[in-house]
Amino acid sequence: MADVKLSGLHKYYGNVHAVRGIDLTIADGEFAVLVGPSGCGKSTLLRTIAGLEDPNEGTIAIGGEIVNDLRPRERNIAMVFQNYALYPYLTVYENIAFGLRARKRPDAEIRSRVGEAAEMLGIGNLLGRYPRQLSGGQRQRVAIGRAIVRKAELFLFDEPLSNLDAQLRDEMRTEIKRLHHEITTTMIYVTHDQVEAMTLADRIVLLRDGKIEQQGAPLELFERPRTEFVARFLGSPSINLIPAKLVAAERRVAAIFDGGGSITLPVSKSAALDGAAGRAVLLGIRPQHFSRAGGGPLRDGFVSYSTVADLIQPTGTRTFITIKIGGVDAIAELQAHDVESHGQKIELAIDLNRAVLIDPGTGSVIA
Amino acid sequence: MRLGGVPSRKTRVLALRYLGAAALTLFFLFPVYWLFMISFKTPDEIYHVPPLWVPSHIQFSNYYVLFKDGDVWAIANSMIVAGVSSFFAIILGTLCAYSLARFNTGGDNLAMWIISQRMIPPIAVVFPIFLVYVYFGLVDGFFGLVLLYTAFNLPYVIWMMRGYIVDVPLELEESALVDGLSRWDVIWKVVFPMVRPGLVATSVFTFVFAWNDFIFALVLTRTEVITFPVQLTHYFGGQSNFWAKIAAMSVLGTLPIFVAVTMMQRYLVRGISLGAVKG
Amino acid sequence: MTISAALDGSKRSRSGRFGRMVEDRLPYLIVAPAILILLLVGLFPLIYSLIVSFQHITMTDNDTSFVGFMNYAELFKDARLWASLGHTAIITAIALPLELLIGFLMAQLFIERMPGRQLFVALLVLPTVISPIVAGATWRLMFDVRFGPIGEILSFFAGEPVRILWTVNPYFVYPAIIICEVWQWSPFMFLLLLAALSNVDQSQLEAAELDGASYFRVLRAIVLPAIAPVIAVACLIRGLDLVRIFDIIWALTEGGPGSMTETISLYTYVQGFSQFETSYTAAIAFLVIALLTVITTLVLKRMELAR
Repeated sequence: MADVKLSGLHKYYGNVHAVRGIDLTIADGEFAVLVGPSGCGKSTLLRTIAGLEDPNEGTIAIGGEIVNDLRPRERNIAMVFQNYALYPYLTVYENIAFGLRARKRPDAEIRSRVGEAAEMLGIGNLLGRYPRQLSGGQRQRVAIGRAIVRKAELFLFDEPLSNLDAQLRDEMRTEIKRLHHEITTTMIYVTHDQVEAMTLADRIVLLRDGKIEQQGAPLELFERPRTEFVARFLGSPSINLIPAKLVAAERRVAAIFDGGGSITLPVSKSAALDGAAGRAVLLGIRPQHFSRAGGGPLRDGFVSYSTVADLIQPTGTRTFITIKIGGVDAIAELQAHDVESHGQKIELAIDLNRAVLIDPGTGSVIA
Repeated sequence: MRLGGVPSRKTRVLALRYLGAAALTLFFLFPVYWLFMISFKTPDEIYHVPPLWVPSHIQFSNYYVLFKDGDVWAIANSMIVAGVSSFFAIILGTLCAYSLARFNTGGDNLAMWIISQRMIPPIAVVFPIFLVYVYFGLVDGFFGLVLLYTAFNLPYVIWMMRGYIVDVPLELEESALVDGLSRWDVIWKVVFPMVRPGLVATSVFTFVFAWNDFIFALVLTRTEVITFPVQLTHYFGGQSNFWAKIAAMSVLGTLPIFVAVTMMQRYLVRGISLGAVKG
Repeated sequence: MTISAALDGSKRSRSGRFGRMVEDRLPYLIVAPAILILLLVGLFPLIYSLIVSFQHITMTDNDTSFVGFMNYAELFKDARLWASLGHTAIITAIALPLELLIGFLMAQLFIERMPGRQLFVALLVLPTVISPIVAGATWRLMFDVRFGPIGEILSFFAGEPVRILWTVNPYFVYPAIIICEVWQWSPFMFLLLLAALSNVDQSQLEAAELDGASYFRVLRAIVLPAIAPVIAVACLIRGLDLVRIFDIIWALTEGGPGSMTETISLYTYVQGFSQFETSYTAAIAFLVIALLTVITTLVLKRMELAR
């Protein structure tokens, strides 16, 4: 059990400033996910915490103790790698027992702990096999087994699911979530996949170019992003952004689309935009904020929008349609049978309470 | 590069290829066959005009003579010298290669210098080394020869093993480091097992090099530590050569190599080509 | 079932100060033994030799005074030295292309799959691993005018007795050496080129086949460019070996007749260990090193540029 505290962390690779002044605190027992596009510094950060790389500046503290000059094996951490890092010349049992053997634990203890871990991950019957005889999912389980058997205070995961196919990935994600539920150790997880981030994290730390763009609970980042980057990164399909200009419209604010048409913003949004008339903005509407208009009166903050479904992509449970709004292609997510054919006319309702307004120049969310 | 065609054409081509292969094998192995045959012939058969293609029966008296006269010690000496020097070259060379591969110790300059050592022509250094050895009393002793062969094998070992080590996924080492191994342990418990094929291939090469070396053995030995190639040249006379002995000794000295190479055959192709392809 | 999350007992711990010191310096510690040996045997004798080459130590004279470049000046006047360089050049210039060609043809023969290929390759490699002394001795036996099979085979094809003293007749010594050398080292080229050929991009070859390209066209446009780097390295390795050739000649002709097949290595040996011209030999040695370094650097530069 340990909390992790990073202060003023910097890391350079030659001229590349990979980590630029990170301050981050992860509470004891928390599941933190470091997520971001490739090159954002998340792996570097993780490896620095592990001790596999040394930071150029800043301190790393685990459980209140500064560990900067401790070697990886002295930091009492366990790590799961992207490519499983299993030793091909050892059996599954020996692979899991590797760390315990290194610390010279007695055979009986090793046997019981390996058995326990294998049982927990459902690989108890594979202990005599060699890695080459296992499937991808089984190998990943062995890698996780090797981590948990050491009962470290901090678990690090470096994109462990990237090499698995989609279905396996879903399965393993659930496994990892259940793992955290059962052993409640502090876990730091690196991924570029925002779905993994959303589903696994207690706290998401979204990184961009070596800095923290935003951190917080998943839904908080999703519903109240602070910058355009965050809004774009989370959510699949990604948020629709429509360029527009704000004008005052009686007691409220309206957005005039650069591509034609306009939309009046609800009171909740207008309040925050006081005095913003004339500003250029990006209006961000998530695909999920569209729905088929029921025909009755619209709720507060909802507006109606008549359009044509250009393309339809049914997935079974939902149907994604491509529409034009403000002269821009946008994706709307509807129920399975809301739209039947291409080119069909449809009446949509847009929930503008959840819309975000972004300043195109600074990229920050203004409302 | 061959166009597919009517089956009979394919078979014809295949037959031709086998013919070619057989012809090549004949050409390249005939001398070896001849050597073996001479070693089994009696002096009458050896000095028979015209030469006999097959001995009337296989007899080992030529070999017996070698054992009786103690010439066989040359083989033993070669085994010791080649084996020990290979061992040290592999161990020290692989350690050095690890440092170069993972830590880039000494940067490009050190790597360049090590490779350049391989290009040193033995003839250019045999003389100064001889002088130095005389000074330190290392001539005609096991230690001197082993030291020399180790030194000459090191650049090759370092070059080859570096390539093999680089192929080991870094994650395996990092995982071990996190799990509790020291760097030293990682080298022995993770890297060495992972590069075993490379170790085998490289050690065969170092062994063969030390075994077959002539010029250093010629210069640096006198009477105590005669190795196999030098012993062989003792049988060359001005007028007549002791052919029986030459053949028998050659066979004795070549069989171990044949056996070793054939056993390690599948590693070797990679060994040779890796060195060349990686440049 | 839950795993207790109790602490391991081996919480954050530091290793001792000595251990840390060793581990920090580990990269340097483990290169040290190898580098030390290399310096001892590689660099030290060279320096010593350089010094000696500027002295005047001969069979009779142990003069260690500095005589400047006298020995090196001698080199230029030494006809036998230049002759030996010429001999070396001849052998290299003939043997290397032959080995390359034969090796290439062999590789072409075996590149396609065929049952038993593994066996053939294993057998064909054998000449390369035997001691060059054994190779030379074997061919000496084979070439023997009375008891060797070569004479018999040639007589059979010529229809009349053929009596050639291969190892003594001035017209035949070079062919003898080259035959033995090519016999031993073509398989080496064969192996290298076989590996290189199997790495040629299959899809390119298939596309060319579909396009109807002729055999030679494919060879020139696709195959040769692809294996050029390997050919270059192979030629460099074998080329340097050929310049240093010693064992085979020693076994076949001992440099004879006279000094007709004396290569630079043999000449150096003679000067050093027959004549005991210590300083002069040192100078020759340096000439050889300089020569080889120049050749190697030029070739490597060419290769770099070509890349």
